[in-house]
Amino acid sequence: MPKLSRRQVLVAGSVGAAAMATAGCSDPGGDAATEALDPSAKVSISVGDQPTEDKPDQLAAFNKRIEEFKAANQNIAVEASPEKWEAQTFQAKLAGGTLPTVMGVSLTYSHELIENGQLPDMTPYLDELGLVADLNPLALDNAKDDGGKIYTIPTGLFSVGIAYNRAIFAKAGLDPDTPPATWEDVRAFARQIKAKVGGVTPYAQMTTNNTGGWMLTTMTYSLGGRVQNDAGTEAVMGQQTIDALQLLHDMRWGDDTMGREFLYDQEAVRQAFAGGTIGMVLQAPDCYFTVVKDYGFDPADYGQGALPQGGAGGNGTLTGGTLKLFDAKATPNQLLAAAKWIKFYDFDKYYDQAAALADAESNAANNSPVGLPGLPPVSQAVYDRYLGWIKPHINVPLEQFTGYTAATLPLIAEPPAGTQQTYAALDPVVQQILTDEGADIVRAVADANATVKGIIDQAAR
Amino acid sequence: MSATPEAAPAARARRRARPRVNLTRWAKGGGLHAVLFAVPVVVVYLYFSWGPVVQGLVFSFQKTNLIRPAEWVGWSNFEYVLGDPGLVQASLNTAYFALLALVFGFPIPIILAVLVTELRKYDTLYNALAYLPAVIPPVAAILLWKFFYDPDSTGLFNSVLGWFGLGPYPWLNDSSSAMPSIVLYATWAGAGSTAIIYIAALATVRTELYEAAEIDGAGIWRRIWHITLPQLRGVIFVMMLLQLIGTFQIFSEPFLFTGGGPNNATQTILLKIYNYAFVNGDFGAATALSVLLALALGLLSAVYYFVTRKWSAA
Repeated sequence: MPKLSRRQVLVAGSVGAAAMATAGCSDPGGDAATEALDPSAKVSISVGDQPTEDKPDQLAAFNKRIEEFKAANQNIAVEASPEKWEAQTFQAKLAGGTLPTVMGVSLTYSHELIENGQLPDMTPYLDELGLVADLNPLALDNAKDDGGKIYTIPTGLFSVGIAYNRAIFAKAGLDPDTPPATWEDVRAFARQIKAKVGGVTPYAQMTTNNTGGWMLTTMTYSLGGRVQNDAGTEAVMGQQTIDALQLLHDMRWGDDTMGREFLYDQEAVRQAFAGGTIGMVLQAPDCYFTVVKDYGFDPADYGQGALPQGGAGGNGTLTGGTLKLFDAKATPNQLLAAAKWIKFYDFDKYYDQAAALADAESNAANNSPVGLPGLPPVSQAVYDRYLGWIKPHINVPLEQFTGYTAATLPLIAEPPAGTQQTYAALDPVVQQILTDEGADIVRAVADANATVKGIIDQAAR
Repeated sequence: MSATPEAAPAARARRRARPRVNLTRWAKGGGLHAVLFAVPVVVVYLYFSWGPVVQGLVFSFQKTNLIRPAEWVGWSNFEYVLGDPGLVQASLNTAYFALLALVFGFPIPIILAVLVTELRKYDTLYNALAYLPAVIPPVAAILLWKFFYDPDSTGLFNSVLGWFGLGPYPWLNDSSSAMPSIVLYATWAGAGSTAIIYIAALATVRTELYEAAEIDGAGIWRRIWHITLPQLRGVIFVMMLLQLIGTFQIFSEPFLFTGGGPNNATQTILLKIYNYAFVNGDFGAATALSVLLALALGLLSAVYYFVTRKWSAA
């Protein structure tokens, strides 16, 4: 058999490679759906956030809701998926198209996803379901573009406060019903805990997996500063960020009230808190759910205050939450079905007393927290009515959240441009202050401004 | 081997004289079948091995989120990653890890292999013990070691050191000790599997050499220095190259131990690539830095090859 010449092989290989490259470069969004909307058409969707097997109560409750939804919507086939948002893998899965038709994602991504065309226009579907009118207007601002189109549904809203261990407070001679209101309080309380209670970290700070930047942003807000300007075009960290870092530096190196672990992320710090080794840590009230339900922390020991403030006070706190991410490549019928699911699963309880009671009873029966304080995804009037319905089933010790619920701090949105990248860039700044006694804080903030500006410019390309 | 001056024109003449390919004859002769057999393998290889490489190269010149159509952005991604203030530190950290792993991590498997081979009894048991860390999945092992590295005085390592009046040490919580702590783990995790390769190589060393050396009165160190190491030279060079490439691609250890902290002390190039892609969703920057890393590693491999070829020949 005559051998193929090297040239022939090369030509064949090049043609193949070119074909591969062309295939690889083809527009992955090219299969956008064009079918007409038909609410009664048979359709299949997948829904994320199904609890995992290690949480059998929550899993059973979720699956029950799926069955109820399917019974009420015979034309919709629903497949549950345990997929949930994780900062470290989200972008890859989004790009790879492996996420379910709808799932919860940090509200942080809202502006970025809308600008990048990674969210479908949900306005017609939400209008069809009559879901827009009663949504919390503050949250809805995060879900719209400049033209007023709505791309997502915000749920699970929160504002950051401070979680504290009431038992440690009592041991330290502090009043468990009086959380720290100012950063001076935090520092003084931490000193007192250190003096009176051995073997605990009086005040812990998250520093890894973007939580360091998240919390530095929160502290900056509490002192009256900002990390980016409102338009998200400039990095504007200034004296307030320097003051926040100086406070952490002094607590770490002067007071020695921050323990020895400086590489906490949210999960790790909640585990340590549930283990009873942390006195205070910045957290939103949903921390209660994790530490009590998942890690067995005694509810009687959980205390929640508003975010401590600096300066004259009343500067504000950072808000966040969850957005429902709909698959940009889904068909109109799938999007409508997914929106129906979200309405059924997350919103019906606010409008239907029977649904509210069934939901509360189910949660109470499997020892999940009922009535956990937070910012409502619906208007305050609708939310108050809902709280009235479920009052007999509320099992969260609301009096231990008074410091949080009684506060009227201004709610400040997250930095708008490259939010998670900005947080990631600020992680090492906080870590540096906590692990290097001689760190130059002013320079660290100046460098951080330069880095964040680079991120903003890259995001705006 | 190069052709002699006389042979070259003859070869050219032969090439000129080669008959043109007759497609029908070639197909009837089984050529078509051979191509049909080869096509699936070549296509699979091209698609799954070279497809991602080519696509990565293409991405490095694009702005894309894989949902919207990609835009060509020229060298902008390369400019961005080269202008990233963190790149220098990530490169230095990676080189620092490679150096520490080379100085401390590289000799240990060789020593381990020689010792196990020298054992007359229970060598299988020691073999198994040496290999045991490789059996534990890295994620589980790293989580375990995180407990060992607990910076409190109650942490495992600090407790043990405390018995001798040492510590407590911050381990991963300090910029200066974080990277050495990771190298310590990586050495523990990797030594066993590398030692197995050396042990296998040692088994090929002819025993007569040792017997002759023993008769000549050579002690254990002289036997190792004059017989074992020279006989292992080829394997050592290959393993060193593999380790160098491996250490420049270190990812899971800093990712799981420290997330690159504290203060970027364990931020490596691969971790940076990961963060560009999977945290920032900036696939252009991630692939641009990947291309640069691949070029650097290619260059390193070439230099290493030519340098060690001389040594090997010496």
